[in-house]
Amino acid sequence: MLLIHCPYCEEDRPEVEFVYGGEAHIARPLDPASLSDQDWEHYLYIRRNPRGRHHERWRHTHGCGRFFNAVRDTVSDRFEQTYKAGEERR
Amino acid sequence: MSGYRLPAGGRIDRAAPLDFTFDGRAHRGFAGDSLASALVASGQMLFGRSFKYHRPRGILGMGTEEPNALVTVDRGGEGPNCGQGWGRRTPNLRAPSVALYQGLAAQSQNRFPSLTFDLGAVNDRLGAFFPAGFYNKTFMWPRSAWEKLYEPAIRRMAGLGESPTTRDPDHYDATYAHCEVLVVGGGLAGIDAALEAAAGGGRVILIDEQDELGGGALADQALWGEVADKTMALRRPRNVTVLTRTTAFGYYHQNFVGAVEQLTDHLAPAQAQGARERLWRIRAGEVVLAQGAIERPLVFDGNDVPGVMLSSAGRVLAVRYGVAVGRAVAVMAVHDSGWRDALALKAAGVGIAAVIDLRTDVAPDLVSAARAAGIAVHLGHAVTGVSGRHGVSGITFAANGTGHAQQLAADALLMAGGWTPTVHLWSHAKGSLRWDDAWGAYLPDKAQENCRAVGAGAGAWDLGAGLALGTLPGPKPIWQTKAFVDFQNDVKARDIDLAVREGMRSIEHIKRYTTNGMATDQGKTSNLNGLQIASGSLSRPVTDIGLTTFRPPYTPQTFGALMGHHKDALFQPIRKTVIDGWADDHSAVFENVAQWRRARYFPQGGEDMHAAVARECLAVRERVGMFDASTLGKIEVVGPDAAEFLNRMYTNPWKALAPGRCRYGLLLREDGFITDDGVSARLAPDRFHLTTTTGGAARVLAMMEDYLQTEWSDLDVWLTSTTEQWAVIAVQGPLAREVIAPLVEGIDLSREAFPHMAIREGTICGVPTRLFRVSFTGELGFEVNVPAQHGRMVWEAIHAAGQAHGIVPYGTETMHVLRAEKGYVIVGQDTDGTLTPDDAGMAWAVGTKKPDFVGKRSLARPDMTAPGRKQLVGLLTVDPQEVLEEGAQIVADPDQPVPMTMLGHVTSSYHSAALGRSIAMAVIADGRARDGQVIHVPMPGRSIRARVVASTVFYDQEGSRLDV
Amino acid sequence: MSEAIAIPALAVAGTDLALETHAVTGTGVTLVLEEPASRWSLRARSADALAAVIGRGVPARIGDTLDGVACLGPDEWLADLPAGTVLPDGAGLPVSVVDVSSRGVVIRLEGAGAVHTLASGCPLDLERFAVGRATRTVFETVEVIVWREAADRFRVFVWRSFAPWLWHALKAVERG
Repeated sequence: MLLIHCPYCEEDRPEVEFVYGGEAHIARPLDPASLSDQDWEHYLYIRRNPRGRHHERWRHTHGCGRFFNAVRDTVSDRFEQTYKAGEERR
Repeated sequence: MSGYRLPAGGRIDRAAPLDFTFDGRAHRGFAGDSLASALVASGQMLFGRSFKYHRPRGILGMGTEEPNALVTVDRGGEGPNCGQGWGRRTPNLRAPSVALYQGLAAQSQNRFPSLTFDLGAVNDRLGAFFPAGFYNKTFMWPRSAWEKLYEPAIRRMAGLGESPTTRDPDHYDATYAHCEVLVVGGGLAGIDAALEAAAGGGRVILIDEQDELGGGALADQALWGEVADKTMALRRPRNVTVLTRTTAFGYYHQNFVGAVEQLTDHLAPAQAQGARERLWRIRAGEVVLAQGAIERPLVFDGNDVPGVMLSSAGRVLAVRYGVAVGRAVAVMAVHDSGWRDALALKAAGVGIAAVIDLRTDVAPDLVSAARAAGIAVHLGHAVTGVSGRHGVSGITFAANGTGHAQQLAADALLMAGGWTPTVHLWSHAKGSLRWDDAWGAYLPDKAQENCRAVGAGAGAWDLGAGLALGTLPGPKPIWQTKAFVDFQNDVKARDIDLAVREGMRSIEHIKRYTTNGMATDQGKTSNLNGLQIASGSLSRPVTDIGLTTFRPPYTPQTFGALMGHHKDALFQPIRKTVIDGWADDHSAVFENVAQWRRARYFPQGGEDMHAAVARECLAVRERVGMFDASTLGKIEVVGPDAAEFLNRMYTNPWKALAPGRCRYGLLLREDGFITDDGVSARLAPDRFHLTTTTGGAARVLAMMEDYLQTEWSDLDVWLTSTTEQWAVIAVQGPLAREVIAPLVEGIDLSREAFPHMAIREGTICGVPTRLFRVSFTGELGFEVNVPAQHGRMVWEAIHAAGQAHGIVPYGTETMHVLRAEKGYVIVGQDTDGTLTPDDAGMAWAVGTKKPDFVGKRSLARPDMTAPGRKQLVGLLTVDPQEVLEEGAQIVADPDQPVPMTMLGHVTSSYHSAALGRSIAMAVIADGRARDGQVIHVPMPGRSIRARVVASTVFYDQEGSRLDV
Repeated sequence: MSEAIAIPALAVAGTDLALETHAVTGTGVTLVLEEPASRWSLRARSADALAAVIGRGVPARIGDTLDGVACLGPDEWLADLPAGTVLPDGAGLPVSVVDVSSRGVVIRLEGAGAVHTLASGCPLDLERFAVGRATRTVFETVEVIVWREAADRFRVFVWRSFAPWLWHALKAVERG
């Protein structure tokens, strides 16, 4: 079971308290009506899926309840760092 | 003393004899014996039959590495759930790991009719037809024979042991634990590490899989004093927890270690109290691995005859258990430890026929000590054959394996093939390994976690010098020998050679093709030998070939232990409402909906479901019914931006909804498909009471929180789950108002003051209520929301008040029928995550003036408006009494060839008492355009015809019954 | 080998589990189902903003408790107050005050064995869990709020429908 550092609780907490939230830093377009079908499809479905450093979201559902960002290596499954929602991509 | 028990010695209690049976025959051992040591003491050398060839097999090793002696132990049954005792029957236990207790009943496996006479041995005679990978090349033709002939035959022959078929009556415990230092392995290296860590003050846990600490030292009498002293020393500090009979089976991320503690299996069943096993889930600051090393067998013709075993096994039997493995024991060594074992056995009183060593340059002090002890010595020789089938009667050996063959009478042969540090857990935690020529094995190199290895498991123990070999040299070519590498999976040296000849190059392929290392012992005695043989066949260094991955569990664990408390009544939480008890008292039949159990119908007299539901439905339409709707999800949405937020989430407009009014909300995912719905009420400008489906409550709340926290964090609005705060009683039917009026205070229930789709706050039966006027039945309806602690009281009061009006409690089945008669969709039943609002006939719920809402942009994608989409429509069977099956497929032409073109499927289907005929809803491609068409529903042996109706409203199309 | 297996019916089914209103004592621990109280889920952008509305002290740090109010998240608090206490509803203000008094129950664990009992299914380091701290977490698959009032006294908040399972899971923990 992973230990994940919640940037709000400021503590390492067990994985079972969290829910994975997909790739991070994908903002919902402010004016969806103005997007082409391809761009909208990209927003909906296309993700980077990198081998290595992955910027992703987690939610501390059974804890403080907050969404936050994380950089995790998809090969080693190690968390490099976590940071609060709304902060710049690390 | 009879049999092979030595007159003195061992750590057994000779004053405490124990009786047990093996394959029905009575034996006697002592407290402190394992099943293996007690049977060997009795003279039993035959323990089982091998997996594939059914070759007679005996003990190879006296630890968890034992591959052959797999037994079934029946701990008997008491109580109603045990049947013939199968509930406590455990297969595939390793005999050396089974603690002896009074009355133990053990059976050998994989043999019929008996261990000594096994018909399965025919496989051994036909061995040439079952080489490695044979199933990739056989049992293919004819194809039809696979299902009826080959597979059942293979299933009967394959497998080890038999699974229990009766419920396990035992219970199991589980816990989490935290410590600063976890030491895995209680040999001297581990004990020292634990003592050192304890001095540091943090919490220390030391675990060992055996019943007492000491590890390898238990087979060296000179070290017993040190073990005893240090075991005592571990008891003094308060910060040390010592767990014996505990196996660390897996090492997971960030020093999380799973272990299972045996609590009662070493006791006679009558003495066993409490949980049988305990699962430990340990998070450690630092992990110290002291798992020791496991001796390697030697690979030569005849190395699997019962009585041929690891040298360390012979030593453990003699020193720890006071058992002689034979009276004329030969030792074949390529490692110094074999010599030390021979000397220890001799000192314990075991007759040693000879020590044979392939090396010519053995340390002189070992050779002279052996000679001084009267042991014949043959340097530069190798065993080339073993006589005997159920036991050893003699061995053949030759100079360098190829010289002139000599005979030696012997009744046991010990193999000292070198030592392999146990790196399983180190590897689970992704620690890297480095090859060590001196050990002829991989040692722990760099850790990825806060972990270090100590003792023999780290290569930090002096066991002496030796060679690392593939096979012993011999007179026959490899493909003519029966030299075993993996004893449990019956993999021979020639199988590995065959794999290489057939083109396998990587050890991953060789392993899978031959199944070497894939048995329940996970290659503990076969991995390294297999590597060396492959290296020889490939003519490449061992380090070039790679090493296969070690995976948990280190040793097999029971389902019971891994489940912990999640068994029987505690298997999973079953959620019940506060009214459930009343339903139970009134003979409700229940069904599971998500995690809840809900009353499905209330049969009276001898009613079946059909009759009960028909009665309940008619009662609601003609008079009044009551329904427990408490499981529906509820969310309190509060804050100045509440309406703005809901407007962005749902398809319909919310801002203009006046306080005191309700609206049906449709929720889409961002991809435009319906994900949930519910009627929601505005209580105040900044407060809404939202409802969701029962199964969608958590998912909808999570989805909303996602948007609120990560997209629209500037909005001042908060969401609180109130699903369990409110009990909900639906009162539906023309007499609904009459029933609740006497109980309600502070609310004008008249049609003018309280229109349909409105909410009022007041009291009912003296407790606060949020009273909704909503209907999921198409009749006049109210949903009485009260704080859950009052739910049952209010339900009973409504039921009593309703008696004068013929009120009837109804369940989910009736609820389904009544709403289907009105064409109301159930999200998750009529929708499946691929329907847009228009597909479901709910384009009316989509606000046309809203610039944006979740999913809106997706609705404009070309595919979402293209023709051919499945649309929700009604179906009326041509035979009105025929009820379609939900999920049944729909086709245009039932006579078309298979595979047919499927147009859609039936989503909801019931018999309608109100209409006196069946009704159904279905999603069908271009459904609305097929209005009036007859379609076909193919069923086994026949096809049902039904007419499509574009409208899904079957009853009271004008909706006049609501407007009262 | 492939015959249908007839599994006998459960002696106790999950649906038979019921909360027990009388205290249950095992070795070193007593389980008590608390009487209903007044409970509120409170939200605001800051502790000060919330305190101004409800007229009580509100802890600012996640995990802290103060006079019956626990901080569960950066904008979330749980108030656990004597039965009958009513809080202002903050209408029109950027706060959320929601009565959740009926939503759950509290199971109290008292005694030297309380940590051991809770550790059976809670993955936090409970020995190191500070007195006066509260957090949302899990006990196996059930979400709970753990509130430590003293070295040997934990209060576990759980939603009503999960309480019977939790009660019996705590009872099932082996002691000794």
